[in-house]
Amino acid sequence: MEKQHHIHLVPGDVGETVFLPGDVSRAKIIADHFDEARFVAKNRQYITYTGSYKGIKVSVTSTGIGGPALSIAVEELIKVGAKNFIRIGTCGALQKYVNLGDIIIATAGVRGDGTSREYFPLEYPAVADLFVLEALVESAAERGVKPHVGIVRGHDAFYVESILANVDYLERDKPWIESNVLSVENETPTLFTLTTARRCRGGTILTPVGHHLFPDRTIPDEDVKKAIALETQIALDAAVKLAGKV
Amino acid sequence: MASQDIHSERQHHIDMVMGDVAPTVLIPGDPGRVEVFASLMDEVKKVAEKREYITYTGKKDGVPISCTSTGLGTPPTAIGVEELIRIGAKNIIRIGTCGAIQDFLKPGDMIIATGAVRGEHTSEEFISMEYPAVADYRVVRALIDACKQLGLPYHVGIIRTHDAYYMESPQAHGDFFARIRPWQDLGVLALENESSALFTICSMQGIRAGTILASGNPIYTPNADDCDWDGNIRKMVQAGIEAAKLLHARGLA
Repeated sequence: MEKQHHIHLVPGDVGETVFLPGDVSRAKIIADHFDEARFVAKNRQYITYTGSYKGIKVSVTSTGIGGPALSIAVEELIKVGAKNFIRIGTCGALQKYVNLGDIIIATAGVRGDGTSREYFPLEYPAVADLFVLEALVESAAERGVKPHVGIVRGHDAFYVESILANVDYLERDKPWIESNVLSVENETPTLFTLTTARRCRGGTILTPVGHHLFPDRTIPDEDVKKAIALETQIALDAAVKLAGKV
Repeated sequence: MASQDIHSERQHHIDMVMGDVAPTVLIPGDPGRVEVFASLMDEVKKVAEKREYITYTGKKDGVPISCTSTGLGTPPTAIGVEELIRIGAKNIIRIGTCGAIQDFLKPGDMIIATGAVRGEHTSEEFISMEYPAVADYRVVRALIDACKQLGLPYHVGIIRTHDAYYMESPQAHGDFFARIRPWQDLGVLALENESSALFTICSMQGIRAGTILASGNPIYTPNADDCDWDGNIRKMVQAGIEAAKLLHARGLA
């Protein structure tokens, strides 16, 4: 098979479980947590490392920001043999009880993105795969972490719905805050609808780095790094559980 | 704006007050199936009956469980669910039948929903279509474990909820295959009429919800295999009762 158009990978290049950070720089940061890892490919914002962790083959591919770029990565990764996808990322918190640096595991996504609409009617649910979700929740518990488990919102336009927005973002957030949506980000509903429809498995683990209700709160870079490291460890443990189960 | 004592009032449609139902309530659409539930409990009494809403509350192996029929379709289901939450329900599990649309499904298979296509309009009156109709993963797990304990074959995945039975069923007008094929391609297991409103309302209010459905033959081949509907429905209600016991044992009731 020719190498995939955007991700520049061929079958054999990735493991069954692939971690998907949005941030390009996090591909290497995540790969550094593997037992061993090698750089495989780089094209545009798609950087891939593959290696092993506790005896299983795992990979990480950065997707860039948003549903359009993520959908390309997932479609092409499926073609080269990936089965389980775990998004590792950051978000903006929507609920008072969610603090910066906490761990959020998504059960489903609000479909505020345009990409999934182009693929599937809006009534189609953006749900996490049960096995990925349970593996993430169990892995968090084993590390003594109490995650927030629930719905997150994915959408497209960062500068209309974030603490840096030019408009009254809380007015936009209101229905979601009142409906138990934990946080806002940009990729999860695209990932969940696509993996469900393609008979693959999707999950998402996030940490809030901004708070919509308390926009003055900040988190030191060191703490963001720690949270990303924790997300990665939980995701790796989940990948091991999935290898035994699925 | 609802009055402040919505939780202590006698509920308008289900005709019950706080204390009348257990933390876990099974909701069939068909009022007749409440009797199946009653027949499987160790002790049980009828608590209320009004319109299509019939409720029994009782105990199985020491665990309190209720069953309230909510009628066919999302409009009465939404009313039933809303009022059950107001009087203290914490886990609401739909038990029902469906039209299977995947070839691998067989009569007697149990379908456990992780999420539902929002092909109905009731949930849209609550919140925009972007919001996911997702089951609570702990209820899903309890239903899976219940089927395993009872030795029932089961499938886990997404289902489609919709309003107009005579547009999407073997007795439908016109080319119902054409309407259903896209959902079949997208991995939807079965069609039914209530779950997406249940899931949406419960997620919005922080209440746990789930759905288990008894499958017949796929609707393309309605007579492929013998289908013992009554026997399969009885097994499904048993699975709902076992799941309620598991939720109780896991500190979720």
